[in-house]
Amino acid sequence: MSRLAIIVTICVVVLFLGSWIFKALQAQDAGVDHYLLRGFLVTCSAFLTLAILSFLYKDNPIYKFAEHLYVGISAGYWMSQGFWSTIVGNLIPRLSQSLSGFFKQPYNAGEWMGGFFYTNWVFYVPVIFGVLLLMRLSSKYGWISRWALAFIVGTTAGLQFIRYMRSDFIEQISSTFVPLLVDWQGIGHFFSNLSLSATGQLVAMVSNWIIFLGVLCGLIYFFFSKEHTGLFGKASRFGIWILMVTFGASFGYTVMGRVSLLVGRITFLFRDWLGITS
Amino acid sequence: MKPLLITVSLLSLMTAASFAQSDPPVEQPMATDSTMVASTPSITPPAPVSSLEAKDSPDDHGHSITLSWEPSADDGAGAATVTSYVIYHSTSPEGPFDSVGSAISGATTFTHSSAKESDAAGFLADYVDRYYRIDAVTADQTIRTPSSVVGPVQSSGQWYNDGRTPVAVAVAFFGLLSLFFLKRAKAGADLYVRPLGGIEAVDEAIGRATEMGKPILYVLGLGTASDISTIASFTILGRVAKRVAEYQTHLIVPCYDPIVMAVAQETVKAAYMDAGRPDDYKEDMVYFLTNSQFGYVGAVNGIMLRQLPATNVYMGKFYAESLLLAETGALAGSIQISGTDEVAQIPFFVVACDYTLIGEELYAASAYLGREPLLLGSLKAQDYAKAAVIICALLGALALNIAAASNATWGLTFKEFFKVTN
Amino acid sequence: MKRQIPLVLVLIFGLFMVIQYFIPHESSEWIYEYLLDWITIIGVFALVLGIWSLFKVNYDKISQRKPDRGYSLVLLISLFATMFFGFFAKVDGSWGLHFSTADGLQSYMYRHAYEYIIRPIQSTIFSLLAFFIASAAYRAFRARNVLASLLLAAALIVMLRFNPYLGPLGDYISEAANWLLNVPNLAAKRAIVIGIGLGMVATALKVILGIERSYMGKG
Repeated sequence: MSRLAIIVTICVVVLFLGSWIFKALQAQDAGVDHYLLRGFLVTCSAFLTLAILSFLYKDNPIYKFAEHLYVGISAGYWMSQGFWSTIVGNLIPRLSQSLSGFFKQPYNAGEWMGGFFYTNWVFYVPVIFGVLLLMRLSSKYGWISRWALAFIVGTTAGLQFIRYMRSDFIEQISSTFVPLLVDWQGIGHFFSNLSLSATGQLVAMVSNWIIFLGVLCGLIYFFFSKEHTGLFGKASRFGIWILMVTFGASFGYTVMGRVSLLVGRITFLFRDWLGITS
Repeated sequence: MKPLLITVSLLSLMTAASFAQSDPPVEQPMATDSTMVASTPSITPPAPVSSLEAKDSPDDHGHSITLSWEPSADDGAGAATVTSYVIYHSTSPEGPFDSVGSAISGATTFTHSSAKESDAAGFLADYVDRYYRIDAVTADQTIRTPSSVVGPVQSSGQWYNDGRTPVAVAVAFFGLLSLFFLKRAKAGADLYVRPLGGIEAVDEAIGRATEMGKPILYVLGLGTASDISTIASFTILGRVAKRVAEYQTHLIVPCYDPIVMAVAQETVKAAYMDAGRPDDYKEDMVYFLTNSQFGYVGAVNGIMLRQLPATNVYMGKFYAESLLLAETGALAGSIQISGTDEVAQIPFFVVACDYTLIGEELYAASAYLGREPLLLGSLKAQDYAKAAVIICALLGALALNIAAASNATWGLTFKEFFKVTN
Repeated sequence: MKRQIPLVLVLIFGLFMVIQYFIPHESSEWIYEYLLDWITIIGVFALVLGIWSLFKVNYDKISQRKPDRGYSLVLLISLFATMFFGFFAKVDGSWGLHFSTADGLQSYMYRHAYEYIIRPIQSTIFSLLAFFIASAAYRAFRARNVLASLLLAAALIVMLRFNPYLGPLGDYISEAANWLLNVPNLAAKRAIVIGIGLGMVATALKVILGIERSYMGKG
């Protein structure tokens, strides 16, 4: 360890302890239960916030620590969450009355359909698939896990196939039918109200033409089996221009939202931790 | 027979006419469960709804009846203005009738339905005779006029959803188109596809990584194995891994979803086998990080700064993390190639990456990289489907505008062809 | 066995999902709902694979005495500690399995892990985006070609739309920004969406027909 690293470590530890004591005393004054723990936790979140922000300067041991801590805790968190909500919440009440009693879950008795098919039987299937999936851990029978993967991939491929056929294909076609001509009421009316936000006839017509041609040229840009030359190439060029303008607009639109996220974090540091502003 | 029938109908018509001239008769309620007749003779009760019809709701899973009617003559006007309609239901024409809901004045339809679970609240069993009646109610709840009872009607589930026929047509169209081109591809037809910038860059980037002796980072994004973009990404990963194996470069594939990890392991392993280097495949090339979006980002950013990959490839589904990843990679000086179908994230990739596959190009990429005739065949099908969209759009716009210019309504009929209901 | 059964499974379940879309009858709906339940449940089993992978990679780093092994240790300890508190808790003064109640899991420690560690880190990483978007904008600035300039110009117009210091010019800018967001944006998004739709549909079809099988290790 270099001298600098030792100094930095000592500073961090001292600051941490100082903040802990200070926040604990504050909590005690406010009459909070477990004030020592509370002080520790608030200090933790402040230090972790700073540790992540330090990444902006460069990768450093404190960031690395926060990152590994976060990966471990979040992986464990989602694991338990999945166990309690899906296995205990959804599966066990369908499989065993005594187990659901043990986990304090209401047992779902299921029903006999047509007198020969018991609905709870279907919940053994995912268990079987799940066990097949876990066979991956064995080097000899690992290939069996493909059955489970095939089930998931097949089911969702079918689902997405039909879903996107409707939402991204059929329903988009008819929305490209826009009025391209205007109801002619004289030249004065046509050129009136030229502001972009108003609904003057000229502006509305040009906008509709841009939407219409923009969609067509955008689609032409995505043609793979024809060289983009000549008129086709020009259309494709216009298509990518429209795409780029859109990407720019969308980029600009997001900026403000991101800045407000940062303001939120800074508020936490200054108000909730340091108590400087209110 | 005939003269008798005519006489009877004439007689009844005359009676009806004489009734119509006098005060409208108050229809006597068929049921005994509620008081519907105006108690004070000074206030005239409203006219009842007419043409009440009850039908099994179409294109559904059953457990639902749709009622429709013509509003009362006093709806929105008249001495006793109707403010609402209360719907009564019974399983017997004699009642007792229970209220199952109400509709505001002006309404002409009501759906009486329940969830399909037999323990659901107000469960409506299929194949049971049901009878309905509607009360036209005034602001004073006691002044109301019931309609005649309609029924019996039964609810049931259908085996085909009519409203989705356009989708069925599209499935058939696209399926046949794909099969046609797959067949042509199998027969060995020469299928041209134009070069695509991002794809050419992949090979180049792998070469550069090899020269520099640095690894290649492949990020599959936040998608699960249920996302088609992730599946497309697996194919690209397969190609990349094969090249990597041939060049003997190192590959890093950190995963967000355990199933995606399992699949990616299979893909990479097979690619190494294909390249004839099964021994070079290591378990720790493809590994799981965490199921948390920003935990994943934090860890991948760390990998970028510590292992300094020569090339970062992002293919699949990305959300807010797209810019965090791509900017870190750009700052670390890696060549970056990205592709996603998340429209909102494409701008960030475009700005921060050297090459970006926009939307459909991600799906085309696997065909490009593999140059397998079958995959190219399906690309042709996609192009023809796009051509069909363009033709439909032109025809539709033409129809709409000609019709609008000639004040005809048929321009909208064309639009109806594409309308999916329910 | 190794290759055929998965392909058959994909075909059967894929076709079923397509066909069920056109069958509103409740029997088709029941099967559909069960299948989605199955996928969620299998997903939880898969988490075990994930945890195993995470454990193995980091355990190897420690046992092989790699330079960053200290961090791997931090990761493993936090992983197992969270999992422990995810299953066990001190309830009514004694340790035992804790249970899920209407307000979520009872464990005190577990909830604190979320509130004071996961959440602050998560929102801080998210907030880093503000800096990154700035450096990305700078990068776009330096690119000198038509496409990048178009992108940047549109971005600038939209970013300046609420700027109060621009005076009357500001009104024009905000009009132009709204027009950009309503007109070209609509056109481009629709073109992209149709393309994506076709790409997805084609890929899904290839998966169902067994042409695309990279997901089971054969590209």
